[in-house]
Amino acid sequence: MCGIVGYIGARKAPPVLLNCLGKLEYRGYDSCGIAVAAGDGLTVFKDAVRVHALVRALPEISGSTGIGHTRWATHGEPSKVNAHPHADCKGRIAIVHNGTITNFHQLRERLTRTGHTLLSQTDTEVLPHLIEEYYQGDFVKAVARALADIEGAYTMIAIMAGEDNLVAARKDSPLIIGVGDRENFIASDVPALLDYTGRVIYLEDDDLAVVSAGGVAITNQGEPVAREENKITWSVTDARKGGYEHFMLKEIHEQPRVIRDTLTGYIAAEEPAAELIGTADDRLEEIVILASGTSYHAALTGKYIIEGLDKIRVRTELASEFIYSGYAAAGSLGIVITQSGETLDALKAARRLREQGSRIIAITNVVGSTMSRLADKVIYTQAGPEISVAATKTFIAQLIALYWLAIPYARVDAGRLDDLVMELRSLPGKVQQVLDNEAAIAAEAPRLAGCENAFYVGRGINYPVALEGALKLKEISYIHAEGYSSGEMKHGPYALLGEDKPVVAVVAPDSTYQAVITSIKEIKARKSPVLALVPEGDETIADLADAVITVPATDPLFSPVVNTVALQLLAYYVAKERGCPVDFPRHLAKTLTVE
Amino acid sequence: MKQAIILAAGEGQRLRPFTVNRPKAMLDIAGKPILRFVVEALAESGIREICLVVGYQKEHVYDYMGSGEAFGVNIEYVTQATQLGTAHALLQARDVAADEFLVLPGDNLIAAATLADFVTAGPDAVLVKRVADPRRYGVVGVSGDEVSEIVEKPEEAGGNLVNTGIYAFNKDIFTFIGDVLDIPDALNAMIGGGRVIKAIETEATWLDAVYPWDIISLNSAVLGTIAARQGGTIESGVTIKGQVAIGEGTVIRPGTCIYGPAVIGAGCDIGPSVCILPATSIGDNVCIASFTEVRNSVIGGDVTIGPGGIIADSVIARGGRIEGRFTAASGRSEVLINGEGPSGNVGAIIGEDVSIQSGVSVRPGAIIGNGCQIQMSRVISGRLPDRSLVY
Repeated sequence: MCGIVGYIGARKAPPVLLNCLGKLEYRGYDSCGIAVAAGDGLTVFKDAVRVHALVRALPEISGSTGIGHTRWATHGEPSKVNAHPHADCKGRIAIVHNGTITNFHQLRERLTRTGHTLLSQTDTEVLPHLIEEYYQGDFVKAVARALADIEGAYTMIAIMAGEDNLVAARKDSPLIIGVGDRENFIASDVPALLDYTGRVIYLEDDDLAVVSAGGVAITNQGEPVAREENKITWSVTDARKGGYEHFMLKEIHEQPRVIRDTLTGYIAAEEPAAELIGTADDRLEEIVILASGTSYHAALTGKYIIEGLDKIRVRTELASEFIYSGYAAAGSLGIVITQSGETLDALKAARRLREQGSRIIAITNVVGSTMSRLADKVIYTQAGPEISVAATKTFIAQLIALYWLAIPYARVDAGRLDDLVMELRSLPGKVQQVLDNEAAIAAEAPRLAGCENAFYVGRGINYPVALEGALKLKEISYIHAEGYSSGEMKHGPYALLGEDKPVVAVVAPDSTYQAVITSIKEIKARKSPVLALVPEGDETIADLADAVITVPATDPLFSPVVNTVALQLLAYYVAKERGCPVDFPRHLAKTLTVE
Repeated sequence: MKQAIILAAGEGQRLRPFTVNRPKAMLDIAGKPILRFVVEALAESGIREICLVVGYQKEHVYDYMGSGEAFGVNIEYVTQATQLGTAHALLQARDVAADEFLVLPGDNLIAAATLADFVTAGPDAVLVKRVADPRRYGVVGVSGDEVSEIVEKPEEAGGNLVNTGIYAFNKDIFTFIGDVLDIPDALNAMIGGGRVIKAIETEATWLDAVYPWDIISLNSAVLGTIAARQGGTIESGVTIKGQVAIGEGTVIRPGTCIYGPAVIGAGCDIGPSVCILPATSIGDNVCIASFTEVRNSVIGGDVTIGPGGIIADSVIARGGRIEGRFTAASGRSEVLINGEGPSGNVGAIIGEDVSIQSGVSVRPGAIIGNGCQIQMSRVISGRLPDRSLVY
């Protein structure tokens, strides 16, 4: 998991590269570096620091061709020597790389035998030395030959002193080319380039691109290919904080608009997936939903939504587990949920599912992502780029996509169907009400901020909400938080309860209501303070819990939306109270393109 | 002149219930917040470096304006934690102010023409406008083209030139602010100290909403200037006349008549057989069911209106859910705020997130607070406080 960039043109390369890298820090940020070519020389400058720190330490480097990298450690600890770019023995070739080279031990041994000196513990460093080995006057050929020796994922950019080309290759991690006027850019993701250009080319797997200031030539397995240019319609605003202290809070606040935009796109479209779901007489037997992390919580919510409305059996599986032993009968329908469309586990799981004979609907936020090309049908969420490592708006957009997928096939009477669509359309307003109540939610943050352990409980369709609430808290505030179905607390976790272990209880006015009340009483009897999330108008829970956060009343089916937003805000203010780096939590990175 | 400092921290208490959850600058007129009109007027005038002073409910400003790229400007934010006055607000921007800059209220609606002569005038200057009734405003005494004094809300107006709150300053202004809380007081101090302040008059748009019903007149004034635009899907048998702007993804169903000027947002579902008459603005994600007539009204985003309703000269803020056979007919207002009432007819003034069951009627001028819930077939008059339940 890394971010890589390249520039070739007339500008001074270092400021361009570092500006682009700053916008890719969400992909990893334990170290960074650049390599710049000028005349017959190549300068590498790197360290185990964040981009802004590298900018401060930057010496004068001339040259208008360069590459850059911001790293998320996979092989070798974060250190100066392990930071990219990596160079060959003579310091004339340098590489930035995103992915994992699986046969690097063999390659390393071979290179050491033939007299190369490798300095770092990284897998990447074999690449520049391989290119050096194969170089006989043709840089592009040498890169292609070197890549042929590589097993694994090798999205990378190569630079060589004295050459007027950068060579970029894509395998398993995203890479795009930004087209400029007598200059070109390369990056892992679009926001990195939006300060410079809105014209981008998405590379495909196994593409090799030779990029000069004047043009781009792409080949795939040695054959020239044409890749169309895309216009980016969203602006660089999306990649900046616009007044907020953190991207996470900004993204939480974008959610009413995200729901509106996502719904607007769907309402204008045809039926979401008629040909895949089948007809009233010929229904699907089973749907398998695959996802990881926060997306997995959307998947679990999706199980309640689809089973409840459509009466189709739904199984949810963690993508990271499914890849080893998962099985679905041929003719099943798979729904794969991945924000980035690049999560390696999700891609592998989807491929496995397809090999077993399932059709696949992808729910993803990134147009042109690998998943979007792999699926039979794609349902895009309109969340825009998400910079905060903790997912918020993309989760809510995934829920909206699942509602939209399920509602047209609901086995309910027509009146109920109308009500559901109306209630779905009222969600942007209800989420705005949660946001307008932000101060009241922030006021409850101290109840959790001083603790090192917490539980989140919910039941029914709000059980996944409890899991997601706990995940948000642990990832940004570093409080150990566990999400449970309130029905499962008595099977072990009750042993842990006590005054210093608060419990956040998600209450919905559905068939689980009485059961959750009973749980709250049992938890109180074991001395844990209870903070309850209740719909407006509820007067029972306030007497039982230590404190309540009120959310707008909605149909229980949609309560996960308002409840999750309230829990996002709670986690944010707890993390802020504890002084945590909200947008860049330790040890985490956003899109996980490694296993 | 390259920079503008926009004061957008104020609440606008007299505009409640609309300003309970958002600052006055973020109230929608003709489909966009007042602040956006100000920012667009500046961008058109070539001023693209903008400092926004925010305070009350500032997140709504962040959420809409972002970093400014969507509007072709670069926005920097500073915060005024407590709203003590305009000079105090300006003082918060001291560290980011350029040598010369404009100061504008973010909650008065202007157009590019308003600033045409002013951007080239240079400091120190104040933009003034001639109005019929100056008693609500600061009256500017002028000798030649220089300001002699500013008198706030005088009982007896000495003239009808009023202060628009739009100024051109250089950094010296900060030395005159000191403990003074409002800019006119600082100006009077400057004049007392012998500084010359030019008065520049405009005849172009400068509109201020003071009371909730003012939104209706501002809306109809601005709608006269909009350009027609058709996004979304217009189904067969729809009649559209005059200037009508329709957003992306909106569906207009058969039998619907829309007579402009009117603005309809994105993602709406209108009809079948809905009648939208001049001068009406409708926000994003609004549903209006069959046989409802809407005239000279402002309807916020995410609102749902059931079938068979009549809505005239009314404002319905965002998020409301209104069932069928709703009547908000227009007439002489029965409601006064601070002893003042609307000069013409008015319908209903309805806050955010209301829930109104079928068959409810609202008396002219009645104000329904945010989050009110009203049961079937009630008749509402007077003022309902926020979150009232009417059984």
